[in-house]
Amino acid sequence: MKNLLKYAVTRVFLTIPMLFILLSLVFVILRVMPGDPVAAMLGGHAPPEVIAAKREELGLNKPMIVQYGEYLAQLARFDLGDSMIFDQKVGTPIAEKLPATLELTITGMAFTLLIGVPLGAYAASRRRTGRDFGIRLYGNVAYCIPVYWMGLMLQLVFGVWLGWLPIAGRTSPRVFASLFEKTGFYVIDTLLAGNFAALGDVLLHLFLPSLTLGIVLSGIFVRLTRANMLDVLKSDYVLAARARGIPENKVVYRHALKNAFIPILTMMGLQFAILLAGAILTESTFSWPGMGRLLLERIRLRDYPTIQGVIVVFALFVSLVSLLVDLIYALIDPRVKY
Amino acid sequence: MRKSLAIFLVLTLVVGIAFFGCKKKEPEMTTLVYATTESITNMDTSNAYDFHTWELFQNINVALLTYAPGTTDLIPGLAESYTANDTADEYTFKLRPGLKFSDGTPFTAEAVKWSIDRVIALEGDPSWLVVSFVDSVEVIDDLTVKFNLTGPVGFFPSLVASVPYQPLNPAIYPEDRWINDPEELEGGVLTGMGPYKLTSFKRDEELILDANPNYYGEKPKIDRIVIRYFADATTMRLALEKGEVDLVYKTLNPSDIEDLAGMDEFKYYKMPGPYIRYLCFETSEGLFSDKRLRQAVAALIDRQDIIDKVFLGQNEPLYSMVPNGMIYHTDEFKTELGDGNVELAEKLLAEAGYTAANPLEFELWYPPQHYGDTEVDMVEVMRVQFEKTPAVKVELKPAEWATYIANLDTKQMKVFTLGWYPDYIDPDNYTAAFASSDGSPGMGIYFSDPEWDALFVQEQTSVDPAEREMVFEKMQKLWADEVPTAPIFQGNLHLFTKPNVGGVKIGPPLIFNYDQLFFE
Amino acid sequence: MVSGAKYSPASFLSRLMKPFITAHKRYGTEWWILIAGALIILFMIYMALFPSTLAPYDPSDQAAGPQLGEPSRAYPMGTDNLSRDVLSRVIHGSRTILGVAFAAAILSSLIGIPLGLLSGFIGGIPDRILSLVMDSVYSFPGLILAIAFAAMLGPGVVNITLAVAVIYIPTYFRLVRGQTLSIKEELYVEAAQAIGARRWTILLKYIFPNVIATVVVVFSLNIADAIMTEAALSYIGLGLPAGIPDWGRDLSMGKKFLPSGVWWMITYPGLMIVILALGFTMLGEGLSEILNPRLLER
Repeated sequence: MKNLLKYAVTRVFLTIPMLFILLSLVFVILRVMPGDPVAAMLGGHAPPEVIAAKREELGLNKPMIVQYGEYLAQLARFDLGDSMIFDQKVGTPIAEKLPATLELTITGMAFTLLIGVPLGAYAASRRRTGRDFGIRLYGNVAYCIPVYWMGLMLQLVFGVWLGWLPIAGRTSPRVFASLFEKTGFYVIDTLLAGNFAALGDVLLHLFLPSLTLGIVLSGIFVRLTRANMLDVLKSDYVLAARARGIPENKVVYRHALKNAFIPILTMMGLQFAILLAGAILTESTFSWPGMGRLLLERIRLRDYPTIQGVIVVFALFVSLVSLLVDLIYALIDPRVKY
Repeated sequence: MRKSLAIFLVLTLVVGIAFFGCKKKEPEMTTLVYATTESITNMDTSNAYDFHTWELFQNINVALLTYAPGTTDLIPGLAESYTANDTADEYTFKLRPGLKFSDGTPFTAEAVKWSIDRVIALEGDPSWLVVSFVDSVEVIDDLTVKFNLTGPVGFFPSLVASVPYQPLNPAIYPEDRWINDPEELEGGVLTGMGPYKLTSFKRDEELILDANPNYYGEKPKIDRIVIRYFADATTMRLALEKGEVDLVYKTLNPSDIEDLAGMDEFKYYKMPGPYIRYLCFETSEGLFSDKRLRQAVAALIDRQDIIDKVFLGQNEPLYSMVPNGMIYHTDEFKTELGDGNVELAEKLLAEAGYTAANPLEFELWYPPQHYGDTEVDMVEVMRVQFEKTPAVKVELKPAEWATYIANLDTKQMKVFTLGWYPDYIDPDNYTAAFASSDGSPGMGIYFSDPEWDALFVQEQTSVDPAEREMVFEKMQKLWADEVPTAPIFQGNLHLFTKPNVGGVKIGPPLIFNYDQLFFE
Repeated sequence: MVSGAKYSPASFLSRLMKPFITAHKRYGTEWWILIAGALIILFMIYMALFPSTLAPYDPSDQAAGPQLGEPSRAYPMGTDNLSRDVLSRVIHGSRTILGVAFAAAILSSLIGIPLGLLSGFIGGIPDRILSLVMDSVYSFPGLILAIAFAAMLGPGVVNITLAVAVIYIPTYFRLVRGQTLSIKEELYVEAAQAIGARRWTILLKYIFPNVIATVVVVFSLNIADAIMTEAALSYIGLGLPAGIPDWGRDLSMGKKFLPSGVWWMITYPGLMIVILALGFTMLGEGLSEILNPRLLER
């Protein structure tokens, strides 16, 4: 255990410089952006003195280095700062919208695994057949589908033509989220409140966007699972299992898949970054009130602190997930020495 | 395998319960769900300067004077009556007796003075509406308040009806800063004197209004209004179709408006809006300081073509900065320059030295999202219209609103599009802001002409309608000659409701009184 | 040989086909995947270079047909809300997206490959620092950075190309650096060093050629990715200004007509994105199987 702890700490220490670099990069990018947030914030009619005064108040006239230093100091205190455009702390909208994005991302990941892994395993078990080829083709095509296009197509079919599913938002207009909202994860909140009608509504709204994310990312997992399964299916213990007379189904889906799963787990961590990027586009298409929409809106308003805050949180999550996955991997796989 | 099967069954069970489980609770109060794509900016009348937030305040607060619903008639609001002196630079208002804010604070002349002083001091976005006209406010007695103006203002009563002039409750609003959310108020609740009070607010999601028991006027028929904020028009349209909302107002896509208008199930209200779109020129230096070029470009605009292509015919062409239906409006641009007038444009261009061999090249700037994404289509159509003559070459330049606004100061944009919602209902608001020496730089137009300034002063200080009419007619003629801006179209407002909703009365001042709504 | 003569058309044909058939025998399905991908790409390149030969109308022609007309024989992909022919816009749009994707990929590789070579070869502290920076950027969702860059630089073809190019530099860097590191250890490199070969020679003669094979594969896959990123940026509205036909933007502009039953404005541009990206992916996959079997299982 002590060794694992040491490994964990080392990994964390490696993560910090990476986060640091990203933050600095983002900081510089934002300051170089054209467009004056102060002028836009004050509505465009403001006289130059008022604009200048506001800039002074917001500390935008200080040299870059000073602003940078102040920003780092703030972060060290876990303070993401204040929004430049609205009178709120950066953390406020982020805390509000993060659960929405996480709910979408996690469910999306679930769909990805549900679709990609079984397909990949099946393809591996039917190697070099037409079905294998078909599944591999699906895997390639899925990766090339723009996630927003997939979303629009699903909206068209299930929302407009068939009218079965809602195409935007987390709840219907007459379901008032303020009634049950606690954690921000509506699936959990509605269950806690015992409000099953609302739960149904929330699930219906969650379905299409996460399915969209799931389909588009499943391609990668199809290929990965298939590749890993191919290796595993050649191994000795699979041969032994077959020799013992265990039915092929069980051999493939129980024994082989379990062992092929570890690299898939690692891949989940790596793909999380792609999932987050896809979530931004999905949120835009489905009007999902999450961090992606927040980011796009604040970029438009040139709200530097909030933009930085969102990217920091994204980076943090990516690092966290990758760290977690590495630790789990180290824990599970006896071959990894730490 | 068995375990996963069990989990699967449990999940199905849960989802099944969710679908067929609970009955919907019966509403104890009449609720109307109002869907919109707008959003609230600041919850403070001293800084709110957008259409939707003003609409909210027109239902939560009351001004000294107000408009009779659906009309341009000013009627007593919180003030019973008023008088003006001969020179129209002093207005005295007598307030209604016995009024209290919802928390019990009595409404007196002190509150009026406090509110006006606060607007002036906080220097928010709309503060110029007060500062440009009001010198000071005097409390004569508890129920009498006097406004000393900076000069004669004939249309002061319509100014007083606007949102920045609304008296606020001094007991809950902070004196030294404006607030964004109701939680920042003393007591955490926004209490006004209007027919509705704000019960809860979740930014960009929903806002709940309940009937205000302390309102001095007639109680509204609908107990609760829920405003639902939609991120895009398409979802909003579908929500109406599915019956999830009762009323939809601002802003649907033209194709949605066309579809919904064609469906019998919905009541459709189409109202002329005082919202205008126009093309601006930077007139002080460079290419477009030559007015012939401005005239040429303006002549090439084919308004009906834009309206048909981009807005499916749902707006009205505009031939003057003064909107259709407003007093003193004339169609000067039509008579002087016309639509898609290629011959006139080519003649003017040739005079200035531009031909097919030496075309006039300029950048047409536009904000791709600020006015909705129809903007992109509009400038594409305009580009094709401008290039109907080979003597013109246009490059489209988008800039996000933050950059766009900054560019107004740097004179970087020579030809650009803008839109305007009025602050008060008077032709002055549509003209002086763009072409007076004071206002023009703020719009990036930088137009300055002493003759024009004199005309503005004349109409602003005159109380004689005949004199003002003469001034504005002259002004519009001059406008079609100098062309600091070229009007394009005037927007109509489209509102849809379920068939059982009545009482939608929105008049030219564009005030939407929620208390007039009822379910049939 | 069918006939005895050396230059008969039949023998010429069979000689042409021979490498294909041999390849198929050797590589199986992968070969055909590669061919399919190559064909798609060649067709798209043709479309991008000579759009007017294929497009029936000018993409900006706002009087091409009815407004929001359904696909028909005269307008196979229908018309949009400004009465422009969707097919013509789709054909002309290929130029934009291919141009940006190609340019971005070339730019990233031109920066990333030399950096990777040098960094891997020289090693030491500069290598560690550079790797750290590259790793940080690589592990972060590329699209988000591209959005930030695009917003920072503003609209315009050059700016979008830059925004897209920047996020792929670490890809080439890591790949090339990794290869450089492993090749550096090879015996023949040691031998070359022993006989006194200059560092530049080693870099150029030994390491670089071995790296090329993998780079080609990644280049193809990179273009596929760049296509998706460019389209995504346009979809969000951070892409090119109006006036240039662009699949991503046309898709986003067509969104609002969906409930009115207008499906063709989004279906066809989206389909083209899929096909084009697929073409490059298939080319890359096929190449990777053939050049380095099982090496690049990602």
